[in-house]
This record gives sequence, C-alpha cells and structure tokens, in this order.
Amino acid sequence: MYTELRHELYKLIHRKLPWLVIIIMILFMIIMGIGMGSDYGKLLVMTSYNSSQIILLLLVIVGSTIFSMEFQNKTILTLLYRSKNKSSVFLAKFFTLIIYSILLHVIAMIVTIIFNMFPLINNPVSLNSIYKYHQYLFVNMLMTTGVDIVVSILIISLICLTSCLINSNTIVIVINAIIIFMGSGLSSNLLNANVRYVNIVRWNPLNMLNLTTQYYNYSTYHLTSMLSNIQLLMGTILYAMIFLLLGYFVFRKKKF
Amino acid sequence: MLQIKELDIYYGRKKIVKNASFEISDGEIVGLIGPNGAGKTTIMKTILGLTKFRGNISFNGKEITDNNHEELNNVGALIENPAIYPFLTGKANLELYSTNEQSTSELITRLGMDSYINKKAGSYSIGMKQKLGIALALLNNPKFVILDEPMNGLDIESTILIRQIIREYSSRGTSFLISSHVLSELQKVMTSVIIINHGEIIMNSPIEEFNKSNSSSYLLRTTDMDKTFKLLNENSIPVSKDENHFIIKDEYIDKSQKIIFDHQIWLIELAPNELTFEQNIINILQKKRGENNAN
Repeated sequence: MYTELRHELYKLIHRKLPWLVIIIMILFMIIMGIGMGSDYGKLLVMTSYNSSQIILLLLVIVGSTIFSMEFQNKTILTLLYRSKNKSSVFLAKFFTLIIYSILLHVIAMIVTIIFNMFPLINNPVSLNSIYKYHQYLFVNMLMTTGVDIVVSILIISLICLTSCLINSNTIVIVINAIIIFMGSGLSSNLLNANVRYVNIVRWNPLNMLNLTTQYYNYSTYHLTSMLSNIQLLMGTILYAMIFLLLGYFVFRKKKF
Repeated sequence: MLQIKELDIYYGRKKIVKNASFEISDGEIVGLIGPNGAGKTTIMKTILGLTKFRGNISFNGKEITDNNHEELNNVGALIENPAIYPFLTGKANLELYSTNEQSTSELITRLGMDSYINKKAGSYSIGMKQKLGIALALLNNPKFVILDEPMNGLDIESTILIRQIIREYSSRGTSFLISSHVLSELQKVMTSVIIINHGEIIMNSPIEEFNKSNSSSYLLRTTDMDKTFKLLNENSIPVSKDENHFIIKDEYIDKSQKIIFDHQIWLIELAPNELTFEQNIINILQKKRGENNAN
C-alpha cells in the first residue's frame, strides 16, 4: 500500500484546494480570536482558536473530492488495475486524509503558538500555566488536538463511506457538513427529549461528535452527551471502524 | 502470455459475456471487434481485474481476480477515455506511475509530446489527451497493452505514428489487445482478430486465415460477356454480376476457364474478388444474426 499512499500524497500536494483551505482555516482562527476576545485566552490556546469544526468542514471539502475526482476523470480504472488490490486503493485514500488532517491540526497549533507570542489578536498567555485537568496549557492543547484528530478520523471514515455511496461530491459535502454542524445538536435533542432507552441511545454515532468540545468543556457537555470522555473516545474509534468497513464494502461492490 | 478460459461476466443477473475463451501470445496484436454493446470494453475491464467474473484469467501463468491485480504490474491500458488528472501536467501524470525516468522521457519524445508535456493536462485538446492516455498505457515498457479505441481524436499523422509505435512494441515482444471502430486502421496492425457479438466470441483467428477464408470468389471479364453468361448457365455454374464483371466462386473457376477457352472466348480480367475488411466483418455479423434468428 506504500506505493498507493505515495500516489495519493503526490496528487494531494499538486492540487490547489488543499493549500487554499489552510488560508481559510487561519482566517477562521483569526475571526474566532477576535470574536471571543481576551477573556478566553487560555481556552483559545487549548482549542487552537476553536479550529476543530472548521478543520472538519475543510476535511469534508477536500476529502469528498479525493474519491469523486477519480470517478469523474475515470482515473479510478488506472488506479485500480495498477494497484495490488482494491483495499490498498481505498485505504491509501483513507490514510492520506488522516495525514492531511494531522497536517491541518499541526498547522493550527503552530499558528496558535505564533498568535500567542504577540498581543495582536489576544493577550498572550503562558503555555506553562496550569489549566484544565490540572495540566499545563501546552499539554491541554496537545491533548485537545489529539482528541480532535480521533474525531476527524470518524468524519474521514464517513467521507469515505458517503463518497462511495454518492457520486456527487456536492451532496457528499452537504451531508457531511450537516453531520458536523448539526449532528451533536440532533443527538442532544434526542437525549434530552426523555426518550426511553437513553442508555442505548446515548451511544448513537452523532453523540461521538461531542468528544472534542466535551474534552475542553467537560461540565457542560457531559450533561448533554451522557457519556464520559473515555466512553466517547471508544465510541468514536468504534464507529470510525464500522464506517470504514462499510465504505470498503461499498467500494468493492461499486461498478467502475 | 494471457489466457482466458470460459469467461462469464454478469451485470446484476444479466450475463454480459458468455463463455469467452482465447489466448494472446508474446508480440501478438489482437483486434477485438464487435458492434456497440457487444462486450468488448467489459472484457477489457475484466482482464484488468475491474469486474467480477466467472472463469479463469491468467497472465504469465498467474491468476488474476477482481481483487488481486499483482500480476498486472507489467500491463498498460487505455480504457474508454484517457485517465488523466487535469490539475497535473502531462509529465506529472506520467511520473505518477513511471518507474524509469529515462524511458518515460524517451516515450514523450517518441510520441511528439515534448512541446506541451509540461502544461496542465486540463488545457490539452482531445488529441493531446488521447496521446497522453496512450503514453500512460505504454509506460514502463509493458508486456501487455490494452487499447480501447486508441485512435479517437487523433489526426492522421498521430494515427500513423501510433500505428508505428504499436508495431515497434510488438516486435519487442509486447502483446496488444485493441478494440476500434476504425476497422481499416485496426486491419493495418493486427495479427489476429476476435469478433464478438452479444457477449459471445463468434470468431477467433489469425488475420491471414481470416482474409483467406473470406476471399472465396473471383471477378471475371471476357471478350464476349453475353455468350460467357449463357455458357456458364448451361454448365450449371452459379454466377452473379456486378457492373462490369461476373462473380464466380473459386471452386468453379478452373471449370469456367476451360469452358470459355473451349469456345474461343478470351479472358480480359480474372482477379480475386476481395471484400474489404469491413465488408467481411459485416458479413460475419449478419450471418451470425441470421443463424440466431433461425434458432
């Protein structure tokens, strides 16, 4: 699969869109910093200027085209016959998006550190100060980023599944954007509607999207998600694996 | 090199290709001919492991399945449209799969693509894209190449060039499976012909045998056409006419010559009545349809 992964990264690097979205991400971080003001300096650093949602949305935009461009340009045929098997093509795309997600998160952290060095957007705060979970703020930022990467893997597996099910990348983007922006809200509405079997319903996949926000704001979001951080983390990983397997199943059955 | 045995291909429950078997040897150029929807592209895709099938496909003795293409690393293909990433330059499209920079550069030059190879492929004309698609198929000196309608969008010079390149690769041992609606072009390069109709292979033969078996009559012109006609009829020799000739089956040609010579009529012209390649193909397909309708 190394060759297929190298091919995917080569294509990703040579496209404009993946680079363009980094500028959009930084602009969004600046707007967040200005919007939240200096009172939330530590929270902004911990959440890398609240970049989680925009990173997920940008991943959806870039990720949905990673499959659709192959179908539209008919390059999927070359890609498949030149690879050892279908799974290596599918997994190469999945891992490429994970690598891209990690890249976006690392850039978000670097930009956060740069913003925190100069009092341009907000007053700098010490990265060595103790903040959430009795940990240094720097550790908080690293952990939040790590948790958000896990959530992004769930979204990537959903992108892979929906991209193989639906040929239109616009529809794929819309569906995944709705899941990102409204998924956790839908889940909390469901859980707060006093439905029966709450103990089961709280394990719904949309609830797992609360993981990052709950990690940096446990007291508020735990009441909504009704799951602990660890439970959300395990659920996120489990659903990512389920969606990935479903996506691969659809990809194998797809006619090219 | 390539062996296909009892190949059945389904789309849903419908059998698209039925019990297809053929072999392709080193250096052979096989023309896959048939009407639209006959199953040509489906067979090509299946050889590349892109479609599920029943039967056996093996390349150099090793089996190919729809989920195991390991043996296909010496295979190149152009299926339907050139598979090109428009955001990459022509060169980058080739570099993506190239294993030898030197041979890729030589291929670019051989195909006359040097002047535009560093431009984005999205800006290419149809012919330029087609050439790039062919270059992708010929990349890394493959042992076997599948070309589906390779002459699409090519100008006459490029068509001649591609024909020459196919022959060059063939002489070095590369085998080709080519489908094209431009039968006259295909005729100039292929060494064997496979005719497929409604998913069934109805003919698989070397091109010399094909030509021989489909050229079985002669054109005859004499000094006295009316008398010749009368004599041939009297001797129960089946004869048909075109504008200036009689058309006589080859089994009667010796007898016909003797009769007209005995009656002091002289030959002006006696030549094999060669149908064009296209006419032969159409005749075979029509004959097959007639048989099917009779059944």
